[in-house]
This record gives sequence, structure tokens and C-alpha cells, in this order.
Amino acid sequence: MTPERFAYLADAYGADLHRWPRAEQPAAQALLDSGNVLAHEAQQQARWLDGQLDSHQLAYVDPSLARQIRLSAPRGHSFWSRYARWLSPAGLVGVGVAGIVTGMLVASLSVPLPMLSSEVLPSVFDQGDAQVIFTVNAEDTEQ
Amino acid sequence: MKDTDPDVELLARIGNNEPAAVNEMVTRKLPRLLALAGRILGDADEARDVAQESFLRIWRHAASWRSGEARFDTWLHRVALNLCHDRLRRRKERPLEDEEALALTDSALTPDEQLEAADRSARMAAALAALPERQREAIVLQYYQELSNIDAAALMNISVEALESLLSRARRQLRSQLADTPGLARPGRGKP
Repeated sequence: MTPERFAYLADAYGADLHRWPRAEQPAAQALLDSGNVLAHEAQQQARWLDGQLDSHQLAYVDPSLARQIRLSAPRGHSFWSRYARWLSPAGLVGVGVAGIVTGMLVASLSVPLPMLSSEVLPSVFDQGDAQVIFTVNAEDTEQ
Repeated sequence: MKDTDPDVELLARIGNNEPAAVNEMVTRKLPRLLALAGRILGDADEARDVAQESFLRIWRHAASWRSGEARFDTWLHRVALNLCHDRLRRRKERPLEDEEALALTDSALTPDEQLEAADRSARMAAALAALPERQREAIVLQYYQELSNIDAAALMNISVEALESLLSRARRQLRSQLADTPGLARPGRGKP
């Protein structure tokens, strides 16, 4: 590597050879080891600017930001949360059906008692058609 | 030599909804994203927004991430850079102001030393903000984010030679600007 090439690379990548392209590092180190004055000057100048660049610190991380970001990640699914999407509408339908049934029950209980005459509802003591059927069945069995 | 991507295993764990993996990813990448966006945009609040948006992309892609294409860290830099570009397009660039810089306070320093460190950081921030956008991007990717020259050039869609040219011009301008700052002595040529 020529001292000019070294100065060009130091001007671009800075003083630390580890930041240089890998392929250039051994030759650059060899030039420094040989005591080349131009290479050392170029490195010195680059090191000054590296120090200035390093003085710029922005590494502070706000803990509340980190927390917010963690909360934005998808969560692991429990048994109930996995089925929550379709359990919720199913629950709504169930509540609706229960409401209708309850409504019908309340409506039937609120019908006035005088309407429940023998003409509306058959009585278990009413021996009408049922007695005839039992009689016919008994005659068939005897035959 | 083919390097293995150190983030792939972590991504798979995030894909399996492991909370510990989420924490590790935040610890590993949040400072890098804030540093990148903070230096490109020169605005701490916008840097936070970019970091948050970048993490949403990470969560979205973690489960389906396929190794062997791009390194995850390079992909993440591309995502964050694009978000920064969008914001730069939306606003006229303005220099960093002292109070916007999130300076790291080193408790090991005396109050005087902390003040001096904050002052140097603010001067450097101002010099960085005064660079043309592409030069600043090149310095941030190569120097601060420590990306390889190949990765940095690829992210900027330029050749390695063009990247080196941008870096040289950026460093020359920074040297010139900082050397004019009172109290910052610059070593002259020929001095050891």
C-alpha cells in the first residue's frame, strides 16, 4: 500500500483500521509498522476527527419508550384469548336467545287466569277422546 | 466465509410469541435505531417515532423471516432509513438545537466535565446537522452504526467508491467546521 492510498482510506474511514475494508487492513498495518511518516500523519489527523465524532452521544434510551415498544409486540395466546374472537359473538347470540325465551315465559305467565278455562286448555280429568282411545286399544289387545 | 446472522434465532423466538425474546430484541436494537434516526433527523422526538414504527415492522415480519436473503440488521437499517427519508421529505431540514439532543450523562464525570462533554456533543451535533444529507447519511452508517462499507453503500444505492468519496468530503467538512470552533485544537501535520 502506498502512503497516498493510506491517506485516502484514513480520510474516508477514520483512524481505526478495524473500520476499514477487511482486504486493506493487513497492508495498512504493515505500512504503519514500517514507520512510514506520511501514514502516521494521516492516521493522527483522522484520529482527531474520530475523537470529535465520538463526543456526540445519543445513546440514551427512554425506559417508557422501551416499555411502549415491548407492549406493541404480539402477545402469546392463552386458551381463552385464542377463542375470544368467535366466543364473543357466540356469547352475544346466546344472551339474545336467553332474552327471547325469558320474554316468552314472562308473557305466558302474565296471561289473565280466567282465560284458562276448560275450553282453552284440556284438563287431565277430562275423560273425553282419551277414554275412547284407551277403550279401543283394550279391545284390540283382547283379540 | 459466510457469516451467520446473529438475529435469526431471536426472530424465530419472537415469531413464537416469547416475551423474553421481545425484550431482548428491544434491548439489542432500540439504541441502534435511536442513534441512527437521531443523527439522520436531528430530532429526538422524530427519532422515537421512527424507532416505534421500525419495531412494528419487526413484529410483523419476525414469524416469516427467512435467513439467507439479507442480514436482519441491514434490513432493519433500510426500514429505518426509509422512514427517515419520508420524514425529511415532509419537512425542511433544520439544524439540531441543543435542547433536542439527547445527551448521555456520564455520572462518573464531575459537573464541570459533564458540562464540557455536553458542550462538545452539541458542537458535534451542529456540525453533523450542517452536512449535506447524503454525506451525513454516509458518516452515520459507516462510522456510528459501524456497518461495513459494502452494506452502507448498498443501503445508499451507491458504489463503494462513491461511498468513500462521500465519507472523505464529509470528514473534510467536519474537520474544517470543528477546527474553527474556539477551544477545539486540531493537530497540525507533522506533529506526532
